[in-house]
Amino acid sequence: MITIAREAWETIAVHLEAAYPKEGCGILLGTTDDDRRQASTAEPCRNIYQGEQADRFQLDPLDILAADRRARELGIDVIGFFHSHPDCDAYFSATDLANSWPWYSNVVVSVRAGKVHHAAAFIANDDQTQSTPEDLNHPEITWQKY
Amino acid sequence: MAKVLIPTPLRQYADKNDSLSVSGGTVGEVLDALTMQYPELRRHLYTDEGKLRSFVNVYVADEDIRYLNKDATPVKDTDTISIVPSIAGGSAGVAEPPAVTLDKDEVLRYSRHLIVPEVGMEGQLKLKQAKVLMVGAGGLGAPLGLYLAAAGVGRIGIVDFDVVDFTNLQRQVIHGTKDVGRKKLDSAAESMQDINPYLRIDKYETALTSENALEIMRDYDMVIDGTDNFPTRYLVNDACVLLGKPNVYGSIFRFEGQATVFAYQGGPCYRCLYPEPPPPGLVPSCAEGGVLGILPGTIGLIQATEAVKLILGIGEPLVGRLLLYDALGMRFRELKLRRNVECPVCGDHPTVTKLIDYQQFCGIQPQPVQTATTGEIDPVEVKAKLDRGDRFVFIDVREPHERQICSIPHTTLIPLGDIPKRVNELNSADEIVLHCKSGVRSGKAAEFLRQAGFKRVLNMKGGILAWSDKVDPSVPKY
Repeated sequence: MITIAREAWETIAVHLEAAYPKEGCGILLGTTDDDRRQASTAEPCRNIYQGEQADRFQLDPLDILAADRRARELGIDVIGFFHSHPDCDAYFSATDLANSWPWYSNVVVSVRAGKVHHAAAFIANDDQTQSTPEDLNHPEITWQKY
Repeated sequence: MAKVLIPTPLRQYADKNDSLSVSGGTVGEVLDALTMQYPELRRHLYTDEGKLRSFVNVYVADEDIRYLNKDATPVKDTDTISIVPSIAGGSAGVAEPPAVTLDKDEVLRYSRHLIVPEVGMEGQLKLKQAKVLMVGAGGLGAPLGLYLAAAGVGRIGIVDFDVVDFTNLQRQVIHGTKDVGRKKLDSAAESMQDINPYLRIDKYETALTSENALEIMRDYDMVIDGTDNFPTRYLVNDACVLLGKPNVYGSIFRFEGQATVFAYQGGPCYRCLYPEPPPPGLVPSCAEGGVLGILPGTIGLIQATEAVKLILGIGEPLVGRLLLYDALGMRFRELKLRRNVECPVCGDHPTVTKLIDYQQFCGIQPQPVQTATTGEIDPVEVKAKLDRGDRFVFIDVREPHERQICSIPHTTLIPLGDIPKRVNELNSADEIVLHCKSGVRSGKAAEFLRQAGFKRVLNMKGGILAWSDKVDPSVPKY
C-alpha cells in the first residue's frame, strides 16, 4: 500500500493537469516499511520522450539521479514514479510495464479534460512481465464536472 | 575504493545496503566486484549475454558511462558510481485496457446488427468503444440521443443547460410530459439509459463556450451539432477543425432541413459554406419562427445515421455534400460543397487558430443591463392604464396566425412587416404601446416608429408571454 501525503498529491495534480493533453511524469520520494509506503514528496519532472507525448513519457535519468541524491540527503528514498494518462483510464499499459523497474510504486493518474479524474498504483514483477495493483491512498480529488 | 549507490529496488539483493564501497580501476571492474559479492544483483544489471541492461544507466558522478568509455571508464577512489533506472511508459501500448467484448445479453440486444455483415461483431464493438458528443438535447438531440443509445454507442456526452418546457414536447420526443420542469440533461439521460443501460452518459450542464469547448470535446471521437444558434454553430465548427474531429451538422427551419458532415478528412467546414454569420435577428430560431415537429426527427436521424456510418467506417459519408430536405415537397436535394482554400479556419493559411468570441463574431451585443428600460413598459402598468381608462393605442405586431392562438383585449393587429406601409394609420400625437410574443419584434417596431418621428412609443416588456405570467394567466403561452 502506498499513501501519498496531501502536499505531494497536490504537486502531482498541479503538474499533471498542467502537462495535459500531454503525459506528465515525476518521482515519488518517501519511506518504506515492509509493504507500507509513504510518499512525502513528489518531484515533477520534464517528459523527455522524443515524439508524440500525448500517450508517452520518459523520465530523464539525470532527474532520477538528482532526486536520489536529494532523498539520500533527507534520509528518505526514491520509492516510485508517477505519470498521467490523458483522457484514458489509469491502467498500467504494456508500455508502462516494459519500461518500468521492479519494486517501485508506479502511480498512474487519469487526467480527463484537463482535470485529475482517478488514479491507481502498480508494482511490476521482477522481470517486468506482469504487474500487480497496489493499494493507493491519496487525498480527495476535488474534481467536478462542468 | 569507489562508492556505488544502490537504488532502492536493488538493496534487497545487497544486504539492504544503500551504498557500498568497491574497489576497481574501471566501472566494469567495480561492477564485476560488486556482483561477485552479491550475485543476485548481476541478473538485474546485466543481460544473459553480459551486457548492461537497456533500462539500467550507470553514472560516474554526473556522466552516463555510455557516453564515456562504457565499462572501461576509469574510476578514481573518490568517485561515486550511481545505478539509475530508466523509467518511461505511456498510455499507448500493445496491451490496451481490457479487451472490449459483448456479454450474452448484449449479443441478444444487438443481434439485428450482428447478423448484418457490414456491422457484425467488429462493428458492434466499434460502436461500443465510440465516444460521441451531442451538443444540445433539444429537437435534433432528442431523436439522435434515442437512436445512438439504442444502437449501442458506448459513450455519449451531452451538453445542455436548458429545462424541459411544454413547448418542447411537440418535437423533443426524448422528454415526456412528466419531465416538464426537469433539466433536459437528466430527462434525456434517463430515456437513453432506459433504452440501453449499457451505455455511459456524461452530462455537461453548461453552455458550450470558447473557454470550455476544447476541453469538453477533446474526449470524444466526433461532435454532433444539435444547436439552433449561430454563435454555437461557429464555435462547434471551429473547435472541431482545431481538434480534427468530424462535426455532424444539422439545421431545421419550419418545413426545411439541412445536414452534412463538416471537418472530416479534408472536407469542407461550416465556414467554407457560410464564411460570415447572417445579421442578428435575420434568421429566426425555432422559438421565433416555429418548426414542423416531425422535421427535427428526420434531420436528427440523418445526423445519427452519418455518425454511425463514421463509427463503423462503412458507406459513403455525407462529406462535401449539403443535403437539403423539403418536407412539404417531400424532396431531398444535394449541394456540392468544397473546402475553401481561403477558409479562415480550415483553409491552407488559417487565420483563426484558436477559439474567438463567437457572440461578438455573430454581431450579438451583450445585453445592456436594464439600460434600455426607457421606452419600455411593464405589462402590469399597461393593465393599470387599461383599467384607468387611459387613452392610448395598443398594437399587436405579431402575425395573424399567432393572434389565433391568443390575444390581449383592446389590441389592434399590425404585423411588424406591415408597419412601414401602415404607419399612416397611426397618429404621432397618440401614446402607442406595442407588444409581440416576447418583446423582440415590438422592440423593433418601436424603434422604427421612433425613427419615423413618433415620440410617445412604448414597448411592452416580455410580450404576451409576460402578460400571461403577470396579468392574465388564462392567456395561453406558446
